[in-house]
Amino acid sequence: MTRDTMIDGWYPVSLASQLDAHGRSTALMGEPIEVRRGEDGNAKVTGGNGRALPACIRYGHVWSSLGDPQKPLFAIPEADQPGRRLVDVGVVRVRCSPLRAVENFLDIAHFPFVHTDILGAEPHTEVQNYKVEIREDEDEVWATQVRFYQPQAAKSAEGGITTEYMYRVPAPTCSILYKTCPPRPGEWDVITLFVQPLAEDLCDVWPWMALFDDETPMTDLIHFQQTIFVQDRSILENQIPRLLPLDPGMEIPTRADLTSVAYRRWLKRHGYTYGAQLVAQ
Amino acid sequence: MPAQSPAGPVALWRTRSGRAAAFADRCPHRGMRLSHGFVRGETLSCIYHGWSYAQAGNCLRIPAHPALTPPDTIRVATQHVEDGGGIIWISVGEPAAPPPRFEGLAPLRSMVVEAGIVALEAAAGTRAAGGLLDYTHDDRAVRLLLAPEGQARTLMHVLADEDSNPGERIAASRAAESLRRVAEDIARGGIAR
Amino acid sequence: MKLYDYVLSPSCYKARLMAALVGVKLDIRPVDFHPGAEHRGPELMALNPAGSIPILEDGDLVLTESSAMLVYLAAKAAPQWLGNDTAGLAARVQQWLSFSHRLTASLGAARLHEMLLRPGNIDALQGQGTAALRELEAGLVEQHIRGQRFLASDRPTVADIACFPYVALAPDGGVSLDPYPAIRLWSRTIRGLDGFIEMPGIHRLHELKPEPVPVVGEA
Ligand SMILES: N[C@H](CCC(=O)N[C@@H](CS)C(=O)NCC(=O)O)C(=O)O
Ligand code: FES
Ligand SMILES: [Fe+2]
Repeated sequence: MTRDTMIDGWYPVSLASQLDAHGRSTALMGEPIEVRRGEDGNAKVTGGNGRALPACIRYGHVWSSLGDPQKPLFAIPEADQPGRRLVDVGVVRVRCSPLRAVENFLDIAHFPFVHTDILGAEPHTEVQNYKVEIREDEDEVWATQVRFYQPQAAKSAEGGITTEYMYRVPAPTCSILYKTCPPRPGEWDVITLFVQPLAEDLCDVWPWMALFDDETPMTDLIHFQQTIFVQDRSILENQIPRLLPLDPGMEIPTRADLTSVAYRRWLKRHGYTYGAQLVAQ
Repeated sequence: MPAQSPAGPVALWRTRSGRAAAFADRCPHRGMRLSHGFVRGETLSCIYHGWSYAQAGNCLRIPAHPALTPPDTIRVATQHVEDGGGIIWISVGEPAAPPPRFEGLAPLRSMVVEAGIVALEAAAGTRAAGGLLDYTHDDRAVRLLLAPEGQARTLMHVLADEDSNPGERIAASRAAESLRRVAEDIARGGIAR
Repeated sequence: MKLYDYVLSPSCYKARLMAALVGVKLDIRPVDFHPGAEHRGPELMALNPAGSIPILEDGDLVLTESSAMLVYLAAKAAPQWLGNDTAGLAARVQQWLSFSHRLTASLGAARLHEMLLRPGNIDALQGQGTAALRELEAGLVEQHIRGQRFLASDRPTVADIACFPYVALAPDGGVSLDPYPAIRLWSRTIRGLDGFIEMPGIHRLHELKPEPVPVVGEA
């Protein structure tokens, strides 16, 4: 609908490890931008008319904004915990609304059908009740005590386990999930989905992870996550309508979808509607 | 399978027992195309979260809530389907008359042509009557059943003589390919050979 | 047998799928194709100066063309997949093996462009992909008329495995399979073969399993 309210947000625009002086041409909400490494080694981002845009490097990525960010980029304190492996999964382009990409990430009910024998399998399809809230202090959507039976929850998992998740939406196109960590009970693996909105119906998705796993080779970790995300991609490109409907009545949520309900409500409340449609068409 | 109807895209499917059905190609849950789904027994399930629908369009099963009987309000819009003579017909609303039967003809294949009916007529050198276009190519007659998908695209069903042998059927299929090439050339504004 | 492999590569998947269908166990060596471009690094360039994957190594033998890998796996473990029975069949198999390279160059390149942001003239690639799909559709229609379900015969051969991946994944590159009923039927038949395995972008055929009795109140 509109990009006004989302213009001051931070968005991922490149992998930090691939930043070079040559630069990368990309876009943010319809505006062409250039991302490159400046002489001082910092990331430089320029907008369509050559104006300098804000830039920072965090969580493996270069972040920028078309507007004037009022807040620093959201914090992921776990990312700085010693002992974690940081995994740059790499970009995957999807012809879908950036908001649909995030909503799919918040959903567990599709695991048995889309991530069959990895994140879920029939007959273990039930989604137990979990807690959802909009945390007013942080202004974030949270879902906690989400449990699901998984045949192979992570590269490091051996056999089926019931996994516990927490989901967090700190920005309209970013989500972080915390997931039971097979080699280290008591800690949470961090898996994120950073979405760069190119247009209302087109996005570059940059998954990123901070895991406790000293065993699995890096390439296997990357491939595991790419597998999962590309399984989702063919779903995301075939949802109708392309834009996320914020109008109740267009789609039918159940108890399993309470995270999505809260996410949509939060988007609507803030007017985060770039990639959304308000009325049924 | 995916198909088009005047009321929009449809998911066409056949139950295990052989009954054909046409659903609006959109799952009411989260909008996934139902033509990507899977058929088990008498139900069509959505590939995204596995919601299952009966032939009448009512939702029978929500796997995330196995103990729940889905309310009757959850349903997919359906269209009327007639299945006869190897051709599936869809009607939006109650049909006034049963679909035509083509005595002596057997359906061979369906193909999409990136051209409207006018270009197909020009390519064939004849006019279509009642959705049927007779095309003669190398002395061989092919009958084409045309379903327009907007102005610039046509779904073309190729019908062959019931008694034709495999060689003749292959020739009919190739004749239809030739006709498509010419019609698309015309539609692109090119010159027909 | 060692396969230098990338999970999202349809060419690598050809080798994995063939091995699964004929019951050969591969030793998988994952290659960080994206984002790492490891296939262009010194170790892999030394093995395959073309800078492509898959690479299949078996003792002294190093193969860098997926069609050759299919032939090798079939010849070793299940020669009926070669389709060598008659001169005509052998030639039809070769015809489709050669054709499969056009799928890689068109649908494969379109997919890399649309999904992994590789440069390319997307309209031209999609157009070439559509032309190839139309040929395949026509070929399969003619096979049906002859009473044969697969590309070269009534039983699957290496030709089917060479063509299947890029075709099944055409939508990843923005080329719809909606207009091709014979291709979709053939694709389902392949997906239903004993020993078939998926790759990301090709979903499980859930209808092959009966509807399970749901488990309630477990987690
Ligand atoms: N040699 C061909 C190459 C297959 C192919 O195109 N592989 C792609 C990955 S799917 C590749 O390695 N591309 C090299 C590149 O894009 O840099 C085969 O085995 O069929
Ligand atoms: S979108 Fe069809 S079951 Fe969820
Ligand atoms: Fe998913």
